[in-house]
Order: sequence, then structure tokens, then C-alpha cells
Amino acid sequence: MEIINNLGLGFSSLMHLTPLLMIVIGVVVGIMVGVLPGLSPSIGVALMLPATFGMDAMSALVLLTAVYLSANYGGSITAIAINTPGTPGAVATTFDGFELTKQGKPMHALMTSLTASTVGGLVGAIILILFSIPLASLALSFESYEYFALGVFGMTIISSLAGDNPVKGYIASLIGLLLVTIGFDTQLPFSRFTMGIPQLADGIEFIPALIGLFALGEIFFSIENFKILKKDVSAKKAIRKNKTLPLNKLWKLRWLMLRSSVIGTLIGVIPGAGGTIATFIAYNNAKSTSKSPEEFGKGSLEGVAAPEAANNGSVGGALVPLLTLGIPGSASTAVLIGALMVHKLNPGPQLFEKEPGLVYGLFISLFFANLVMLALGLLGNKLWVRIIEAPKKLLYPIIIALSFIGSYFIQNSLFDVGICLAFGLLGWMLKRGGYPTAPVILGLILGKMIEENLRLSLVKGDLSEFVTRPWSLIILLLALVSFFLPIIKKRFNPVKK
Amino acid sequence: MRVYKLIAAIFFLIYLGLLFYLYRGLNRSEAYPNKPITIVVHSKPGSSIDLMSRKVAEVARKYCKEPLIVENHPGTQGIVAMQYVMDKKPDGYTMLGVTKSFLSTLVVNKSHVAISDFLFLANMIADPEAIITNNKSGLNTIRDVVSQANELNGKQVWIGPGTGSRDYLMALKCWDVMGIKAQWVDYKSGPQSVLAMLRNEAPVYVGNPSDILGKDDLKIVAIAARSRLESLPDVPTFKESGYDLDESMWRGFALKKGTLPQAVEYLSEVLKKVSTDPQWIEYCQGAYSFPDYLESKTFSKKIDDEMSETIDALQKAGLLNNYVKKGSILLAAMALLFGLIIFFVLWLLIGFNRSRFTYSLLLSGLFIWVSVFFYYQTLLFAIPAGLNITSPALIPRLWSILLFITSIWNLINVLKEKNQPVKRGRIKLVAEILLALLIYFIAIPEMGYFVSTPFFLLAGFYILKYRKWPVMFTYSIGFVLFSYVVFQLLLKIDLPLGALFV
Repeated sequence: MEIINNLGLGFSSLMHLTPLLMIVIGVVVGIMVGVLPGLSPSIGVALMLPATFGMDAMSALVLLTAVYLSANYGGSITAIAINTPGTPGAVATTFDGFELTKQGKPMHALMTSLTASTVGGLVGAIILILFSIPLASLALSFESYEYFALGVFGMTIISSLAGDNPVKGYIASLIGLLLVTIGFDTQLPFSRFTMGIPQLADGIEFIPALIGLFALGEIFFSIENFKILKKDVSAKKAIRKNKTLPLNKLWKLRWLMLRSSVIGTLIGVIPGAGGTIATFIAYNNAKSTSKSPEEFGKGSLEGVAAPEAANNGSVGGALVPLLTLGIPGSASTAVLIGALMVHKLNPGPQLFEKEPGLVYGLFISLFFANLVMLALGLLGNKLWVRIIEAPKKLLYPIIIALSFIGSYFIQNSLFDVGICLAFGLLGWMLKRGGYPTAPVILGLILGKMIEENLRLSLVKGDLSEFVTRPWSLIILLLALVSFFLPIIKKRFNPVKK
Repeated sequence: MRVYKLIAAIFFLIYLGLLFYLYRGLNRSEAYPNKPITIVVHSKPGSSIDLMSRKVAEVARKYCKEPLIVENHPGTQGIVAMQYVMDKKPDGYTMLGVTKSFLSTLVVNKSHVAISDFLFLANMIADPEAIITNNKSGLNTIRDVVSQANELNGKQVWIGPGTGSRDYLMALKCWDVMGIKAQWVDYKSGPQSVLAMLRNEAPVYVGNPSDILGKDDLKIVAIAARSRLESLPDVPTFKESGYDLDESMWRGFALKKGTLPQAVEYLSEVLKKVSTDPQWIEYCQGAYSFPDYLESKTFSKKIDDEMSETIDALQKAGLLNNYVKKGSILLAAMALLFGLIIFFVLWLLIGFNRSRFTYSLLLSGLFIWVSVFFYYQTLLFAIPAGLNITSPALIPRLWSILLFITSIWNLINVLKEKNQPVKRGRIKLVAEILLALLIYFIAIPEMGYFVSTPFFLLAGFYILKYRKWPVMFTYSIGFVLFSYVVFQLLLKIDLPLGALFV
């Protein structure tokens, strides 16, 4: 059994003080990065990269992957606590996570998210160890046709998010899709729709838009609706009452978590698709297979578990193309390639042969990182609940200030702060008109992928490939089903009231 | 409350100390250099120019009194970084990492920055362009590529990132020199192109030698350099096959024009010493590049020559167009502004009515207006003919038509709805918060983050009717101290200090 030998080799090369310490540091930094709105996992990994130049390759890689992994989890904390996804991958977590907080059950959401993230991370790691070579061919088999199909599939979640008035959901998503066409064209060297504003040449920066739409939009909306002026006492009582989550509730979610983790890992494998799409697809999948789909969007634990498991599962997945093909699977792994090159290591299949100790050590470190994340997360949850309990009158201005910094430091640009503010207004306007805001973000995330790959496919010429290539056909069919199923279900089963 | 008073007092003292430190810390003036020198890089950490700059910073420690610190300012193919350097004082403490791709960026993007705004210090490295194939394709030499191109009679596909990029111009040059015709397909990014090559989707990829690192299936057919790379002794040059091509992605450093002469001299000296350091040479070879030191004069001359060459090439490729019909941008911006103003005025006027009906109507109207606005803009696109592309108008038109249809559908729904009064919201409170936010937004660049934030937070607490002053002070100053520790000290992110402290 070569794999066991290799794992043993990896284990022994990991078992030194520095790498182990780096795991702990990485997890702490990662959770912090995830919690702070504006710092996405890839920015977090990039920020830590310079610090690793002086280390040995093992410690450097272990530190960066620990940051990557736990930042994906950390993003869910603010998503649950204050409706601000700390990272793009946590957008889907807000749907039910923040609802639970509003009901005074933040601890339930936080515990579910932590458990699901850990399960996702572990499943991702196991799949990475056992199947990275066969999965590499999956990563390779995706051409523009499949990417386009995947983007469309991701978009279809709007029909299950839409609620009572699907048209409003479609409008919101089309606004996102239109806004993302602002900026550099995907095929010609010119910028569309910039209206003479030079800062728009590269398009609307995604993270400020995300923060504005969710955090500021929510704050404006709840200020308008008195919520903060009421005494926070009743909320506090509810939080105290729901301080622990019965383990059997988590145990009930086991299959869902496993399934979502696998979805997350598989989509994570596809370079450039990323964990965010995986969270949407997992959420959609959870809703359509759930016994109580009507609870989704109103505080369902399943709605928290599925995207979180998928999000952390995607970390293991994204390492597959990095290690087997030398291609970054996500923005964070693109930085990891830089880290490998600094240490004169060439990412790709040769790495397995030349440095098995390093590769398998990295694999094993994922297990440790997940366990450290679980332990620190359990400690952290107590702190997060304290923050949620703080009076909203104090919390809201602080969240606004945090949103401003978060938008600022992505490009050190005050223009982005303006974007954040503008999207805050947009979010508020939409919310008070009864439009969901999540589809806007969905459009912003997936619009580029859909356009780039549709147009690349058109340039390549043969459109029949969309239906003759198996993966493309399967995904497009899934997209059709997932778009129309909720509508048909509604037609034939009017909701009991 | 007494505890809060004490904490507030302690925080306030620390805060004053911090302000004093920031104020003093940036106003030392002695002989150059007396503080760390920043290298501004236009791409994310881990990119080629980032890694190069960090290596230079590392080696320069031996030769420079103060450390060099790399800062990343990605965006708009480098315009963001260039603009950032332009906005700094020419005191020699901000250096820009420059690369050949900046030439096309400056030609194509209509921005305020020009090549003449910079003083080019030195070139450090040359990363040769390379023609890469897949082993399975049977294209092992330049001759194979040429004969296949002739066989396919213009149908051979060459791929790479970006129409109009350096790689694209390299492809055009190759076709010219090799006397062949081929098709360019834009794969948007380097990694996506490499993936396509790994599945043998296209015969030829224009990239750099480091693209094949660790990938056994890919093969470099030739590099466009004067000599072979020491680290890749088996890879021939174009010249050996009889084609005169010498194209490389150079990377070096520049300063803002008008920088103090002693700083220019000092930094040139440091870079020169770095360029001969064995550690540096070893790095260049590891990155499959040539150490290629050029001092300021030669470097500037090279840039001048290549600039006019780039303009010619882009012109010849039909890419130096006005892609949007003239005058329309201003018109469009005015239309947008006009629309928004009308929307807000209407909103305010009708807002007093506070019925859901009027608001919904207004919102549907806005969406219809947005869809028409975007569609109208696409009509102004002027797309050059003869390129292997699809129209940039395609997708925006699709979305705007769909938005138009759904908005009309929504409008009908709204009109069918009965006039439902909505419960009175605290619009005034939101307006006050928005005003505070706006003032904060305007104040940050002037007063700096550390001064304006406590004021904003206090105002925010006050507006939301929180009135326990010691607690308010504790939280507002505590937050600023927290953000200093977390962002500035731990994560090394610079928060804007404002005009007062720079």
C-alpha cells in the first residue's frame, strides 16, 4: 500500500514543532480573516504569503492552507451574526443563518455551521487523498461549454430563492447580471458602460458591492423599521434560552452534510468554478431534497449546513488541480502556486514524485487544521454570541465602519467605499420594495463566467457541443430541472396556510 | 458606568498617543533614505512581478540602509498602481514595479497617466515569450508548426490570454515572421489557456517558459530570445530556426518623474548591486528568465522604441479604435444622472404619501429605465471588423431585454395590486445615518481614518438614540484602537492617514 507509506512519510515530516504551530496560527488568522468583512480567503492567503518566505516549504504551505480553510469557515460567522457574509462563499449561509439569529437562535446556526464546515473540510481532505489523480481528469474535461452550463446551473437557484413573487427575484438577478457587464470586455481591449469614470474600467469591485448590499442594506432597512429602538431584552432572553444545540439535531443532518461536502469538493475541483457556486448548488440541492423545504429561508438548519459543508469541501477540491495539474483551482490556490514557486517547487504531477513527504504532509495537515478549527470555533462561538447580544444601537455604527474599511483595503481605494455605499442604498431600496437581494449577488458572481464562456464557445464555433458533450448536457438538464421544478411544484401543491 | 469611565479615559490616552506616534512617525526628515521604501506592484501577491519585486527587496537588504517593502495595488491592468504612485510625493520612497504589458495598458486605456510621467530606474529581468505545444500534438519544432499552419490554411488556432495583450501581439509577430496565417482564440487568462493546452484543445499557446513548470505534457517549441536559457538548455531559440524574433516580457522599476536626484542615484546604485548578486542571478534562472540589467538611460530608450512599436502593432491589428462612438459617454453619464435625480425627486415627493403602491411603481419604472439605458449604450459600440470575436453587445443586450420584459411583467403585477398602505418607517433616522455616512466618507481622505472614525461612531450612536457617553467613548475609541492593532499591526494593511498625517 503505497498510499499508507506516503501518508506515514507525510505524517513524520509534519510532526515538528514549527508546522504544527503554523497550523494553529493559520487557523486563528484564517478565522479572523473570514470574520472581517472584505477580507476574502484569497486576500487572507495573499496577506500571509510574504510572511512565509523565510520559512521552510512545509511550514509555509501548511500555514497558507490553514488560513484558506478556516477563512472559508470564518465567513459564516458574520453571515449568521450580522447578515454580512465575511467571504463570498458565505452568501448562501445568510439565507437561513441570519434568520435563525433573528429568532434568537444564533448558537444553533453557529454550531451547525462549525460542524458542517469541519465535516466539509474533512470530507474534502479524504477525497483529495484518495481520488486526486482520477479527479484531475474531471478538472481537465471541463471546457467553456461546461463552465457556461455550470454558471447557468448556479443561476437557477433564484427560482427556489424567489419566494412568493418570482418576478422580483428574476429582476434582482438581471440587475446583478447587467451590473457585472460594466468594465473590461472579455474579448476586446475596451471597457463597457464606464460612463467616463476611470475607476469603473475594471468593473465594479465585487466585495464592496457584497458588503454594501448585505450589511448596509440590512442596517438601513432595520433602522427604518424601528427594530433597533425596541429593547433588546427579549432577544437576549431568547438567545440565553437557545444557548446549546441538541446534538441529535446535528446528527440528523449527517447525510446532508456528507452529500453537500461531496458536492462542494467536486465543484471545487473544477478550476475557476470556485466554492461560491458550490454553496449555491448545495443549498439548492438541500432544499429540493428536504422533507421540509418550506422552512428554507425562514431559519432552517439544513439551509446552514449545506452551503457551509460545500464551502469547506471546496478547499480540498481546489487543491486537486493545484497539486495534480499545476493549475490553480481558485483565487486562493493561485497564491499557493506563488508560495510553491518561492520554495523552488513546481506544482504539478512531478510534485507527488519528488516531494511525497511534502504533499502528504500537507494532506495530513488538513485534518489537523480542521480539528483545530473545530476547537477554536467552539471557543469562539461563545464570543460571537456575546457580540450578537450587544445593543444594536452600538453594533450598527460599528458594522458600518467595518464595512467601510473592508471595502477600502481591497484596492486601497475610496472609490470602492463609494461602491459599498451605493450598493447599500440599492440593497435598501430593493428590500423595502420586497425584492430579494441575494439574486443580485448571484448575478454579480456568475455573470462573468456565463458571458466569458458563452462567447468563447461561440468563437470556437460549434454550438452543438453544448448538447453533445456529456457533462455539458447533464449540467444543462439539471439546470432546467432545478429552474422549473420549484415553479411546477408550486402550481400543483399550493402551499398550505 | 464607573468602569466604563475609567476604560474610556485609558483608551483616550492610548488613542492620543497613537495619533502623536502617527504624526511624528511620518515627519522625520534627515538624509535619504530614513524610512522604508515601498515597491508598488500592480498585481496580486504570487504573480511574476510580485515575486520578482520581493526577491529584489530581499537581496537589496544587503545594499540598502532601509528595507524595501512590497505593496500590491491590483486593478485595471496596472492603471491603479500607476495612479497610486502618481498621487504620492516624489520623495523617492515609492517605487513602481513596471513591466512591458504597461505599454499596451497605457495605449489602450484612456487614463490620465502617461509613460512620460515616469522616470525608469532600471530593468532587472527578461522573461522571453515562448511558443508552447502539447507533446501529443506532434508539433515538436517550429517547422512542424509552420507546416501544419500551411496545411490548415489559416485555420490553425493559437491561444493565449487577452486580445491585444503582449501574448497576442507576439502571436501576430510570429505569424508575420513565419509567413503563416492562423486564428487567435482568447482564453482570457493564463491558467485557462494552460488547461486548454493540457487537454490538447488547441495546437499552439503563446506564453512564457515558466508556464510549463511541472507539466510533463507541455513542450516549449522555441523561445524568442537571443540565446538559450541556462535552465532550459534543450529549448531552441527562434533565431536558430532562422526567424528573427526577440520578444520578452521585461520587468523593472520606475519612479515618479521629478523625484529627488539623490534618491534616484541611491536607488539606481542599489538596483545595480542587486543585479550582480549571485542570489539574484540564481533566482532569475529558477524563474526561467534572463537577468537583464539595463540602467536608466538604455531602459528609457528601449521603452520609447517599444512604445511606438506597440502603437503600430495595435493599430495594425485594428485594436486602436474608439470602441464607443464619440461624445456618447458624456451623454450617457448625463442621462444616468438625470434619471437618478428624477427618480429621487419623485421618490421624495411621493414618499410622503407612504403607500407601497407608489414606491413599487417608481421602482418598476427605474428598472425599465435601467434596461433601456444599458441597451441604448450597446447601440453606441463600434466594433472593429475582421477579428475572431463575438460582439461585446451580445450579452448586455440579452440581459437588458430580459430585464425589460420582467420589469413590464412586474409593472402589470403592481398595477393589479391594491393600494396597500405600508406602516410608517423611520425614514428620517435613515436619512440622518446616511448624512453622517456621507460626511464620514468625505472626511476620511482629509482627516484620515483614525481621526474621523471616532467622530462618525459617536454620531452614529447618538443618532440611534444611545446616550451613555462613557460607553459611547469606550466603543468608538476602542474600535479605532482595535482596527489599528488588527489591520495595521497584524495584517499590515495601511489605513488612510489623511492629509494631516502625510
